[in-house]
Amino acid sequence: MKWNTTDVELYITAKEYVDTALVPLIPISLDDRMKQLSSMSEFLSILSMEIEKKFKGRILLIPTFHYVMDDEKKVEGLQIWERKLQQAEFNHIFFLTSDINWKKEESYLSSSLVWIPAINLESLPMEQAREVMKQQVEQIISLFMNEWKKKD
Amino acid sequence: MSKRNVSRRQFLNYTLTGVGGFMAAGMLMPMVRFAVDPVLAGGSESDFVATKQKIKDLSTEPTRVDFSFTQVDGWYESEVTNTAWVYKTKDGKIVALSPICKHLGCTVDWGGDKEHPEQFFCPCHYGRYTKDGMNVKGTPPISPLDVFTTKEKDGILYLGQRKPHGEA
Repeated sequence: MKWNTTDVELYITAKEYVDTALVPLIPISLDDRMKQLSSMSEFLSILSMEIEKKFKGRILLIPTFHYVMDDEKKVEGLQIWERKLQQAEFNHIFFLTSDINWKKEESYLSSSLVWIPAINLESLPMEQAREVMKQQVEQIISLFMNEWKKKD
Repeated sequence: MSKRNVSRRQFLNYTLTGVGGFMAAGMLMPMVRFAVDPVLAGGSESDFVATKQKIKDLSTEPTRVDFSFTQVDGWYESEVTNTAWVYKTKDGKIVALSPICKHLGCTVDWGGDKEHPEQFFCPCHYGRYTKDGMNVKGTPPISPLDVFTTKEKDGILYLGQRKPHGEA
């Protein structure tokens, strides 16, 4: 379910079925990395939307956690989100990112951190971009399903 | 010519009725046309979207068919990709099922559950549907999968509106 009025209403009535929260993590920077980061943001938004489409009934797609690139405090910020989500009884919390810097912070988080390298979709023709995206989504889908099976 | 004379009163009656009739018709005709227009406009061709699926390539095994169309949503126009599970029944009828689970809207897969390879499977809460789209009792979904209306043109499959089971 998405973060909009209709879906949130549905979430409230069907809370017991929605046990998974998905939070995309997207960095922002206004220097020479701007282009690369915007392409990363685009990729990750499409990816998280596709995952939401597949698992609409079990996942709540939380609005993106944006942070300033190289911000030391981003981990603390995300930990607050994580605590809140745990309190809201999400048994599975997934952080989805293309920013490799999160890998070294992984131990500070108790939820699953999914790192997936960003693909520059702009450079591909539409058909091919779709195909590539489909493959990425498939991978993450099986990852999610395994995680669910473990704890079910 | 008949010998019967037309009186002044009769003449006025005829002309007034005639002219009045034309005026009334002039006003009523467009109104009637407006009223019946929705009926005449129904079932227009553009409701059907062409897929890349050739009819002769369809088998009795459900195949995933993607199709995209432009959707205008308020002020925002976007290209939407939809999916259908399409197969031929034994008597050659084409069935196109919507992959949207009737429980909470996840996407179902054909044969997604190894224990039930001949069923549609919803990975979210393990809901299942039989091949004809009927929900399996005892799993979360409470109604059968929606059905797309289908059409064949030049050997290509066209998909139309999504309708509740039994109405397409």
